[in-house]
Amino acid sequence: MTDHLKTQFRVLYALIRREMTTRYGRSAGGYLWAVVEPMAFIAVLSVVFSEMSSVPPLGLDFPLFFATGYLGFSVYRTMAEVTSTAVKVNLTLLTYPKVTPLDTVLARAALQFVTNIVVCVLILGFILLRSRDSLHLDLLAVSGAFIGASVFGAGVGLVNITLFAHFPTWERIYNVINRPLFLISGVFFVPELLPTNLRELALYNPLLHFVSWFRSGFYPTYDASYVNYAFIGWSSIILLWLGVLFLERNRYRFLEL
Amino acid sequence: MIKLANVTKKYTIGNTEKVICDNVTAEFPAGVSLGILGRNGAGKSTLLRMIAGTIAPTSGRIIRRRKISWPLGFAGSFHGALTGAQNVRFVARVYGQDSDDLLAYVEDFAELGKALYMPVRTYSSGMKARLAFGISMGVHFDVYLVDEITAVGDANFQKKCLQVFREKLSDSDVYMVSHSNHTIKSYCKAGAVLEQGKMVVYDSVDEAIERHEANMAARSA
Repeated sequence: MTDHLKTQFRVLYALIRREMTTRYGRSAGGYLWAVVEPMAFIAVLSVVFSEMSSVPPLGLDFPLFFATGYLGFSVYRTMAEVTSTAVKVNLTLLTYPKVTPLDTVLARAALQFVTNIVVCVLILGFILLRSRDSLHLDLLAVSGAFIGASVFGAGVGLVNITLFAHFPTWERIYNVINRPLFLISGVFFVPELLPTNLRELALYNPLLHFVSWFRSGFYPTYDASYVNYAFIGWSSIILLWLGVLFLERNRYRFLEL
Repeated sequence: MIKLANVTKKYTIGNTEKVICDNVTAEFPAGVSLGILGRNGAGKSTLLRMIAGTIAPTSGRIIRRRKISWPLGFAGSFHGALTGAQNVRFVARVYGQDSDDLLAYVEDFAELGKALYMPVRTYSSGMKARLAFGISMGVHFDVYLVDEITAVGDANFQKKCLQVFREKLSDSDVYMVSHSNHTIKSYCKAGAVLEQGKMVVYDSVDEAIERHEANMAARSA
C-alpha cells in the first residue's frame, strides 16, 4: 500500500513538473503572465466602470469590487478549463501504464489550485493595501468560497472530459453556454440589487453563489444573504463524483479512441 | 509470472465486431522470453498493450507479478511540447529513477547531440526511436514488451540496440512482436501464436513459428 502511494506521488510530481515546463517555462515571462493578465483585466474594468458611475455596487473601491468578482469567477473558470483538457494534452503519456487519466487531472488541478492562490494573494493583497475601504478580511468565507469554486470547477471539467470525448456536439454547445456565463455570475453586480424575479432566475447559476460568497469575505457590511450553501455544496460533490466515475469507467478507452 | 485468466478482447468498429482474444487463458513463467506471432491485424500489439496495462480486456483478468515495461518501439509515448531531455526526466520520475543518471545514460546511448534539448515534435521518426530505446534501456524491468524492434533506426543503431538488449536479457525477459522470424528466434525461447481470437503457447519457439507459417499458408491457399 505504501509502495502504491509512493508511486502515485511520483507520477503526480512528474506530471506537475511536466505541466510547469510547458505552461510557464517556455518564456521568461510565463509565470508573470498568470498575474499580469487578470490584473490588466481588472484595471480595464475599473477604469471603464468608474467613468460610468461614481461608486461600485459595494464599497467605494472599483478595483476591489472587480478583483473580488473576477478572481472569484476565475478560480472556477481556470479550474474547469485545465481539467477538461488534462487527458487530451497528456494523451501520449498514458502509454506509460503507471500514468492514469485521473493522474493527469489531479496534477493539473493541483498546479492550478496553487497558481490561483498565488494570483489571488498577489492581486488582492496589492489592492487591499492601497484600498480606500477599511480592511476587513473574513478568511473563512474567502477560503471557503475559493475551495468551493475550485472543486466545482474541477467537477465541471472532469465531467466534460468524458462528455467531450463521446459527444463532440456537446463541446460546441458548452462553449456557447460558457461564454456569457461571465456576465451573469456576479462579476459586475451583486444579487441583492437585482429585481426579485431576475434574481430568482440568476440564483440557479451556482457561480453567482460562489462569487458572492467570495466577495462577502472582503466586505464586512456585505453578508451575501442569498448564498445557498447546500445547493452549491451538493452540486460540487455530485459533479465531482460523476466526473471521477465517468473517468474511471473510461479509463482505458482514451488510448483506443 | 504473468497470467491471463479468461481474457476476452473485442472491438466494435461500425457494425462489425472484431474478436482479438476469445477467452484466452495462459501463463508465462519468469525466465522465458516469448515471441508473439500472428498475421497482420491479429491483435499482437493489442495483446502487448493489455499485458502492459494501458488498455483493459473486455472481460477476464491479467495478473502481473513482475515489473513490466510500457510497450517499447512505439515512439508515441513522448510529449511533443517537451524536449527529449524533459521526456527522459519525466520517465525517470515516474519509474523512481534518478533523473540525472537516466539523462546521462540516454545522452550517451541515443547519440542525439543537441537535439536532445529540442522539443520532441521537431524530431524525425528515427530520432524518436533512438530516444525511445535509449530511455527504455536505461530503466530496469523484469519484462520488456517490444513491438517491432527491427523497425527502429538505421542499421548501426539497430545493431547497438540488439547488443544492449542481449545484455538485458541475462536477468530480464522479453515479450516480442516482430514480423521477422529470425529476430524472434534469436531472442525468444517460447512462442505464442494468435489466430482468430485463439492463442496457443508453445514451449519451443521453432514449433510456434512452424505453426504460424502453416496458418499463413492455409490463409493464402
